[in-house]
Order: sequence, then structure tokens, then C-alpha cells
Amino acid sequence: MASILLSGLTKFYGKRRGVEDVTLEVGDQEFLTVFGPAGAGKTTTLNLIAGIVTPDRGSVRFGDRTVDALEPADRNVAMVFESYALYPQFTVYENMAFPLKSPKHRLPAAEVEQRVRHFATMLKIDHLLNRPIQALSNGQRQRTALGRALVRRPDVFLMDEPLSHLDAKLRHSMRAELKEMRGQLGTTTIYVTHDYLEAMSLGDRVAVINHGQILQVGKPEEVYFHPATVEVAQLFGDPEINIVDAKLRNRQATSVRVQALGEEWSLPITADISSALDRVTGDTVCLGFRPADVVVGGNGNSNLRGVVYSFEPLGTKSVLTIDSVAGQRVRALVDGHRSFDVDRRIEFGVPASSLIFFDPESTRYLVRSARTEGDD
Amino acid sequence: MAELILKTLTKTYIQAQPPAVDQLNLAVRDGEFTALLGPSGCGKSTTLRMIAGLESVTAGEIRVGGKLVNELHPKDRGVGLAFENYALYPPLKVRDNLAFNLRAHGLGVKEINRRVDEIARTLQIQELLDLKPVALSSGQKQRVNMARAMIRRPSVLLLDEPLSHLDARLRVELRTEIKRLHAEQRFTTIIVTHDQLEAMALADRIAVMNEGKLQQFDTPLEVFNHPANEFVAGFLGEPPMNIFRTVVDSGRLVIPGAEFALPITPSMQKLIGSRKESKFGVRPWGIRVSQTATAGSVAGKVTVVEDLGDETRVGVRYGDILIMSSIPVTRRYRPGLPVYLNFNEEDLNLFDPTTGERLSDSSNPLRSVADETRNKDKIQAQVTR
Repeated sequence: MASILLSGLTKFYGKRRGVEDVTLEVGDQEFLTVFGPAGAGKTTTLNLIAGIVTPDRGSVRFGDRTVDALEPADRNVAMVFESYALYPQFTVYENMAFPLKSPKHRLPAAEVEQRVRHFATMLKIDHLLNRPIQALSNGQRQRTALGRALVRRPDVFLMDEPLSHLDAKLRHSMRAELKEMRGQLGTTTIYVTHDYLEAMSLGDRVAVINHGQILQVGKPEEVYFHPATVEVAQLFGDPEINIVDAKLRNRQATSVRVQALGEEWSLPITADISSALDRVTGDTVCLGFRPADVVVGGNGNSNLRGVVYSFEPLGTKSVLTIDSVAGQRVRALVDGHRSFDVDRRIEFGVPASSLIFFDPESTRYLVRSARTEGDD
Repeated sequence: MAELILKTLTKTYIQAQPPAVDQLNLAVRDGEFTALLGPSGCGKSTTLRMIAGLESVTAGEIRVGGKLVNELHPKDRGVGLAFENYALYPPLKVRDNLAFNLRAHGLGVKEINRRVDEIARTLQIQELLDLKPVALSSGQKQRVNMARAMIRRPSVLLLDEPLSHLDARLRVELRTEIKRLHAEQRFTTIIVTHDQLEAMALADRIAVMNEGKLQQFDTPLEVFNHPANEFVAGFLGEPPMNIFRTVVDSGRLVIPGAEFALPITPSMQKLIGSRKESKFGVRPWGIRVSQTATAGSVAGKVTVVEDLGDETRVGVRYGDILIMSSIPVTRRYRPGLPVYLNFNEEDLNLFDPTTGERLSDSSNPLRSVADETRNKDKIQAQVTR
């Protein structure tokens, strides 16, 4: 077991930036997800920790020891990849026991058997131990690959998109099951993914990375509700968060006039918002609000108007694309029982509590109102 | 535009093996948007290729606007096939991309210009005609792509996985764009896709296929809410429907070897009949989680909680079965907490344990008839709008 400290890790591939100045602390037994789009630098980060790639600058520490000089095999990390890299003709048992038979990790036979059975039970593949890999489903193969990494009891567990090529349904259930058994792992884990649902579900904290740089590190609810930048906000959520420019006028202690989407209305503001707005030069801000927060229909809060551009039912929810009066397009996620005709005029609104303020110049997070939870 | 009828359409590649497409019957109405949905190998692409004339027909009929087209050359069938985005010729202006096929067919310059202007007006791309593809946004490219398929005035527009190779953001954008285009133009369209969200979002009706056979053909909400069988139930919806085996035990449905026992209500009893067991299906949104017991609730203990921003998912384990529910955002539930699951009766799906067919109430056929009528009216209204 170990905490992990990455300081100023930098790796360029020729002129192309792999990662630059990645500094990150992962607590002992913490489960950290590293989330970003393809090419963000996620896998490079993992490979630097594993020692597969040598950094240009920076260092890696496990607990109180620096591992920069150690070969990958001597770092006591276990990796799980997207491709399972199992031996297809071997049984589940043989695959799981394999790392314990290497010269470095050799264990007594009884101990090997005990460990394999322990983790096979935890992963619910104990009934498959004598089956060859070829006879397994994709989900079962993924469990075997996890099991093979677990039996070594590594100091650090590195997972590179282990669920990404399972089909969508299996990914949901494997994710839930992985989270269910997460508490039993008890090993410091870094888990790389491009799927924001995985990042939020599994991580004690999420490190958001893009273009080789860390954009934000925080608990899932922090990165989702208080994203550090517009870019981070856009990486979480499907459909994507709405971002609109707004002009602020006539600011008072408890309210401000907002001009956005072709309308003007009075927005109640708190002291927090007020002092955040003091930091903005000029009278414009960027407002972010998630499609699920848009309220459609005339119920008093609907101060915005528009025309239905497109309506896409998805089952429980539907995506409604609205052309606002100003022409800018807004997406709303509405209840699946409602139906909207194209070109119909509608009213909609965004509750003040779901507005996230960003600086229009730097696109950095400014403030959002205190959030109230649905049924708490 | 025209209606498209497939009658016992069959494709067999190798005699000894099951057909790739097996006696497919499908009636696509004039102006309707239909999705052929299913996993890879289900026969959806083969079906589209047979309609387009790129694949021979083993048996059955394809009729476009009433006319049998089985033996016709692809270009004489009145169908237009739209390929992916990048199939536009980069060095050619939009105008020349559109005219390309017409020139190949030897149309005169005047007629070509007339048609290009006409289709550009229809799809509102007049101001793009002198741009090259590289200058277009993704939505504009999609319009040009459709225009190119439509310029030969097909009766039926065929789209083969038009979005599947795009990144998530672009896919959502273009899906909206295609939906909008169809709402404007109401051209008879068939899309092939393996993405259930795409099919739900775009189609008036979805034909779900598996192993060459049609599983269900109905409106998206009907397929989603009343799946005809276990396959359809499992294929549509994300997160997936909870589906598990239960056995009938003294008036309750129980998971063998686990502490799950749901009292069988009279209406459930009607469906189950004399069966000794039933597959039980409920979508994550059809379950209410609470900390107090109510009539018909099932006790359990939370084993996993996922906070996903806009929703919270709570998992309760019964032996090998992990039942996932999706509820409004809350911090109330943590692993280890005893809870009660309440199943909304109208959200329950029961399937025959052997055939996988949805159990339906044979003593009350009125309901399904009413549904059918309602759907027809709805589609008719959309088509004539």
C-alpha cells in the first residue's frame, strides 16, 4: 500500500506534448480516476507511473520512496489494460495464478491457490476457474484480467480503460459491480477513462486532463457542479452543458439584470456571486447550465422564449433543441412522456441555482449559487 | 417520395446456414422515418443493401411506391443511399459535389443547374454552393451529403450508419440535424444503426432485428415501454433494464436463493397464469427506493451508490442479481443502508422463461388495440403535417 506523488511530470514525444507539469497526489488506498478525451495524456501519465515511459522532467514517489530509478518490474504496480492480454488457451485459474509463478513473485502453491480463490470469489468467477479463456464472455474475460492483477497484491493498481470496449450495457453493469467491490480492493488505484460516467461513479476524486495538462482535481460533485473551466464543464454530461454569453447590468446588492438569449431578466444574487462578479472586468460573463436543469413550459420561471428546432425522444428522457429568440441554440432534457412539435413556440427558464458563472476572457470558473438537492 | 414494402424478404448466403435475413415483412409509409436497429450480424445492413440493389434477393419482394424492384439496377430503383460525411469530394465545390452523379448520368448542363438549385433551396444550402467541403460545419456537411443522395429524386432515402464513426459530440449534433431535416422534408427514410439512442431519437418507428428476424416494429416509446420480448427489452435502454429469473412461490415472485420476494398482484397473476416461473424486467427508472416499508415493497441492503451529477443510481444485491435503480439526485443512500424497493406496476415487464416473449393479458386485448390505433393516428398526423 502506498500513496502516490507525481511532481512536475513532463514528457514530450518530439515536439508533441504527451504531458506537461503533471503534479498530483493520490492518497493511500484512494481510488483516483483520470478523465479526459482521446489524446489528452491519460495513458502517458499511467505509463510514466508504471515506469514504461521515462519522463523528461519530474518524479514519481510511492509512499516515502522515489521510484524514478526503478524498472517497471521493481515498482510493484499491477496494470489492467483495455485489451485483456490473457493467455487464451489457459484456464481462468492458470491465468490468474500466472503472475505468482514468475521468479520475482513466486509463492508457495497453497498460498497461490488461496489467493486465486479469494479474488475469484470476489469477482464472481469462482465457478469458471477451470474454463479456458476462449470459452468466456467479454465480461468474464475482463474479470479474469482484473483478478490476475489483484492476486499480486500490488502497492499500486493502474487501470487503463478496462471497460471501454465492452458494449454499453455491460459497461454499465460492470462499472456498478466494480464500484461495489471497490472497498474490498484496499489498494491505491489510478483508473484512466474517457467516459465521464465512469470517472464520476468510480473515483473518490477525479483528475480532469486535456492537452497533456491537468485542468482540475476534485471530488466528482466538485468537478460536475463547480467545473474549473468551461472546457471541464463541457467534458461532463450528455448532451453537453449550454454555454451562453450574458450582459450584466444595474447590479444591486441582491440582484442583477441579466441580458442573454435575447431576453432580459432580474436574477437574485448572493454575496458570493456578488464578490465573484467584482473580479470580472467589463460587464459580460459566460453562463453555463446543464440541459437537465432547463425548465420547459410556462410555470412562472419561464422568462425565455424560443422555437423548437428539433425533438429527439430517448426513452425516459427526450432531448429538446430550442432556437432562442436571439438565435442561439439551447438544449433541454425533458421528461420522456412529453412531446414537442418542431417549430412550436415555447417558453423556458433556467433556475438561478443551476447557473454557473465563468469569466468570458479566461473561461475560468467564477461562482455558482448554493445547490439544493432534489429530495434531501 | 413513396412507401416501401418488404414482403417475406429473405437472404440466404449459404444453404445449410440460417438466412441472414429471414422472411422480413415491413411496410414503411410515405414520409415515414424508419430505423433498422440491432446488433452486428442481425441482418439490418443486408436488408438495406437488398433495398439499394447492392445485394441480390433470395426470396420475397421489395416494392417502392407499389412497384416491384427486385430485379432492377440500383440506379433504376428510385432509392438514394447516403454515405458518411467524408464521402464528399474535397477538391470539388459543393455545387460540383451535387452535380457529380447527374453528370455521370449524362444530364444536360441546364437541367443539372436547375436540379442543383432546387435541392439547395429545399435543404437551405444555397449559400454553401460555392464553398469546398473543408469550409463547412459538420451540420452543413450532413445537409450537403443528404442533398447529394436526394438530387436524383429518390423515392426512398437510405442511410447506412451515417453517424457511427463520429465522436460523441458531433454525433449528437448531427443527429439533431438529421431529425430537423426530416421534420422539414418528410422524405421516406430508412436508417440502419446499432445505436439504440440514435434509433429512438430519429425514427417514427423502429424495426428491431436479431438473427435475421424482425423482433418488433413500433414507435420508439412503444418499443421502449412495451418491449415484445426479452431481447428487445435488453437491447434498448441505457442503463439497461434489470432482467432476472424469478420463480412463483406461494403468491410471490422470488429470486431463488436470495431474499427477494415480491407479492403477485391480481393483474400480474393474469399475466403469469399457470407458469411456475417468469423472467422479471424493470428499468432502473421504474424502481422507487425508500427507507420505509410499504405494501408490496421488497427489503434489501444498498451495496453500491453512483452519484452521476443529474441522477443517483442505487444498487441492491440479491444473491447473484444486482438490481440498479435510477433516482433523483440525493445523498441519502450509502452502502450498507437497509432500504425498500417499490416497483411501479405499470413499469413491470414479465417474460416467458422459455420463449422470452412478453406476457400479455389475453383477457384484455382492448388495451393493445387502443395502443395500436393511437400510434397509427400519431404517425398519420406527423406524416400529413
